[in-house]
Amino acid sequence: MVVGEAGLAVGLCFGRRRGTMEEGEGVCILSLKSGDWWFGEQQQQPAAAAEAEAHSHREISLTKRHRDSVTQKATTFMGLGMLASRVIRPTASNLSRLSSLHFIRPIVSTPEASSAQSQPQSDPTPDPPPPSPRPPVAGARVHFPNPEDAIEVFVDGYSVKVPKGMTVLQACEIAGVDIPRFCYHSRLSIAGNCRMCLVEVEKTPKPVASCAMPALPGMKIKTDTPLAKKAREGVMEFLLMNHPLDCPICDQGGECDLQDQSMAFGSDRGRFTEVKRAVVDKNLGPLVKTVMTRCIQCTRCVRFATEVAGVQDLGMLGRGSGEEIGTYVEKLMTSELSGNVIDICPVGALTSKPFAFKARNWELKGTESIDVTDAVGSNIRIDSRGPEVLRILPRLNEDINEEWISDKTRFCYDGLKRQRLNDPMIRGADGRFKTVSWRDALVVVAEVVLQVKPGEIVGIAGQLSDAESMMALKDFLNRMGSNNVWCEGNGLNPDADLRSGYIMNSGIAGLEKADVFLLVGTQPRVEAAMVNARIRKTVRGNQAKVGYIGPATDLNYDHQHLGTGPKTLIELAEGRHPFCSALANAKNPAIIVGAGLFEREDKDAIFSVVETIAKNAKVVRPDWNGFNVLLLKAAQAAALDLGLVPESANSIESAKFVYLMGADDVNMEKVPSDAFVVYQGHHGDQSVYRANIILPAAAFSEKEGIYENTEGCSQQTLPAVPTVGDARDDWKIIRALSEVAGVRLPYDSLGAIRARIRTVAPNLLNMDEREPATFSASLKPDCSHKMSLTDFRPAIDNFYMTDSITRASKIMAQCSATLLKK
Amino acid sequence: MSFTRRAVKVPPNSASLEEARHRVIDFFKTACRSIPTIIDIYNLDEVATVSELRSSVAAQIRKNSHLTNTKVIDMLLLKGVEEFNNIVEHAKQRHHIIGQYVVGQKGLVQDSGTKDQGDSNFLKNFYKSNYF
Repeated sequence: MVVGEAGLAVGLCFGRRRGTMEEGEGVCILSLKSGDWWFGEQQQQPAAAAEAEAHSHREISLTKRHRDSVTQKATTFMGLGMLASRVIRPTASNLSRLSSLHFIRPIVSTPEASSAQSQPQSDPTPDPPPPSPRPPVAGARVHFPNPEDAIEVFVDGYSVKVPKGMTVLQACEIAGVDIPRFCYHSRLSIAGNCRMCLVEVEKTPKPVASCAMPALPGMKIKTDTPLAKKAREGVMEFLLMNHPLDCPICDQGGECDLQDQSMAFGSDRGRFTEVKRAVVDKNLGPLVKTVMTRCIQCTRCVRFATEVAGVQDLGMLGRGSGEEIGTYVEKLMTSELSGNVIDICPVGALTSKPFAFKARNWELKGTESIDVTDAVGSNIRIDSRGPEVLRILPRLNEDINEEWISDKTRFCYDGLKRQRLNDPMIRGADGRFKTVSWRDALVVVAEVVLQVKPGEIVGIAGQLSDAESMMALKDFLNRMGSNNVWCEGNGLNPDADLRSGYIMNSGIAGLEKADVFLLVGTQPRVEAAMVNARIRKTVRGNQAKVGYIGPATDLNYDHQHLGTGPKTLIELAEGRHPFCSALANAKNPAIIVGAGLFEREDKDAIFSVVETIAKNAKVVRPDWNGFNVLLLKAAQAAALDLGLVPESANSIESAKFVYLMGADDVNMEKVPSDAFVVYQGHHGDQSVYRANIILPAAAFSEKEGIYENTEGCSQQTLPAVPTVGDARDDWKIIRALSEVAGVRLPYDSLGAIRARIRTVAPNLLNMDEREPATFSASLKPDCSHKMSLTDFRPAIDNFYMTDSITRASKIMAQCSATLLKK
Repeated sequence: MSFTRRAVKVPPNSASLEEARHRVIDFFKTACRSIPTIIDIYNLDEVATVSELRSSVAAQIRKNSHLTNTKVIDMLLLKGVEEFNNIVEHAKQRHHIIGQYVVGQKGLVQDSGTKDQGDSNFLKNFYKSNYF
């Protein structure tokens, strides 16, 4: 067996030397990670595939010359071949995969085979020319901040150019060699305490910890020498000495770094005969389950909590084998990013408490989707088994959420199972709901909507609505003659004319370039935890200054609390406040305005004052636009792009027909008591109590929909689980309703409705691309509104309960009971 | 079984299309002659009339009128005769007859009302399920 690339595949190859492979040769690959076998054949003529496979059943050999000896040796391998030959036939993709596995070196089984043939390469030279370089690990791209400062190092014989300041481990990653590690993480500071990354560097007396050693020019790094391998085996043996035999009951089994690396790099037997130590478990809250006996003291969680999350909750106590990670003061981890330590921990010491003992990772189907609990649009992977969502994990997206997601995103999935609407219902005369069929429900709604005058029809899109359904709602209501449709959260007279007035113009990743922040009426820690993490990263990295205007709040970075209301804004605009100097001297000032201000009466006045501040501090320039609006809900940006702006501000008080598409934050008191309210949504939340008819819709994990995040990047969710009961997709319900009402909408399929969106807001269809705003706010006319001096209020009271899914979730209820600061 | 009287016997092969056609028409005539007995057996007085049942039998035969292969026609005729024998010897029950011959092949009466006719494919699929 030949050990190939780190932990990924083990190649077992029989047959001739690679260079002269002919028809009928076989390569059998065992993949460690997934444990599946495939038996691939390299063949020149694809037409001979069947024949070749038939050959390989019985004889491995290739040409008449080697039939005898090679066959005998090869038949011992053939037992596996019989097993494997029933499996996948080689296809084009298999073949290309095979051709890219350069690292498999063939084992020639007999001396005759090696000598009797004529090789293309005549005699082995003492120093074979190094083969072509491999691509960097995981397809990473290397950024050279200073192209002249590139160093050349040699990794396993390949020479690579790395930027100055990179460590040996990073240089090896660029060279395509994945070095095993436990304590090193690319986004955290370097600890160097696990010693698994030891590699041999020429002319050093000991192997070096590659994660900590900077790469010097001309270094010759060797990662596969016996010394390096022995070091890894030794480290693994030490780590496993005190590690409990918990694999069957540990949730991390199947995705455990320790398991994978011990299979790939560990020795096959241990020599430990004493008693293992055990550590008492710590209580970190209702989200993180701790089994501290499994901890290998890599300190990734400690570094994450201090650096990224900004809370200094965790620490290492004691020394030597008595080291324990914990909070010491019996504090719970209240940070909103605390769930990320679950991903970071390489072993099963920190795992997800709601997910404990629910499933193994190989049973789960991962679907790439987008989070909708806030406006950031973090990329997630929904792991589901059958019809149930079992957990949510982050996906890497450098621009938006890096590798982290907030606790609300991670743990709201159990709200998808409770309080679901699954059948259309009509409220009878006695006030109770009765289940009806779709046909009857749509007929009832159509009758009512045709009787009502156009000016009395109102439509409100909810905070979790996708772009397709909002487009359908607006089209339908426009065809009925009404233009009173808006998205909740945008206020009653939103300004959708200039895109720069409601998106984050610098982008979430662009915030890293800022050096002064002015937060106006926004608490990023509860409104958009990933944006807050980015601000914190900038504060730590660039020593950025943060000035905050709003109610007293704790942000996990140093900030100056400038004031609580518009008075401070006026002072800043007029230049009287001491913070103005910081703004004026900044190279890239950023102003972040919260969308909670949309609800205020004097929002135009406030925005014009902020624009004055922006003009004075030169926040908006051709090369840098630092004027950002931080939205609260996932549907707001797309709603404003699609033009969901109501005609009249108080249409709800005179409405006779109210169509709520998942809108739960609407104040139902304002709706007149004789209005007919239709609620189309997936959870029976607050508005259902007033609804006259319920139409069940699909939640974000069950539909394919476009969501635009607060920086203007449109992304789409994909269905991970089937819809519940008789629920339908939102836009399909509106399309069916329009047909029953006689004003049939012109689209029948997802492609057709996206073509309709293309005519309104084509940027919504460029997936995963951020569309910057074209015009800045300087085009706006002056505002004549008077500004009221009431202080800014917090936009979100309870971080854990903001929308219908989180309000229905038991985990979120536990969190808000235990983890919120009172 | 003393009750088993085979009303119509069918010899196995027809020599030509003409002969097959004659046999089918003979079978139809026999069936129409038995319709009053069938209505009596299954108490279909309120439910159907003779002419309705006759039209439904005729419609089913007409559905296969495009065939030209005598063997296929013979096979279908055999099945029809078997079905007819089953009905006449009361091997079926009332709800079978009503469902298969009175109400027709289009489905239940309340489904195939005037409501559905103007609906597009989208709406029909929408009523059935979310995935189409």
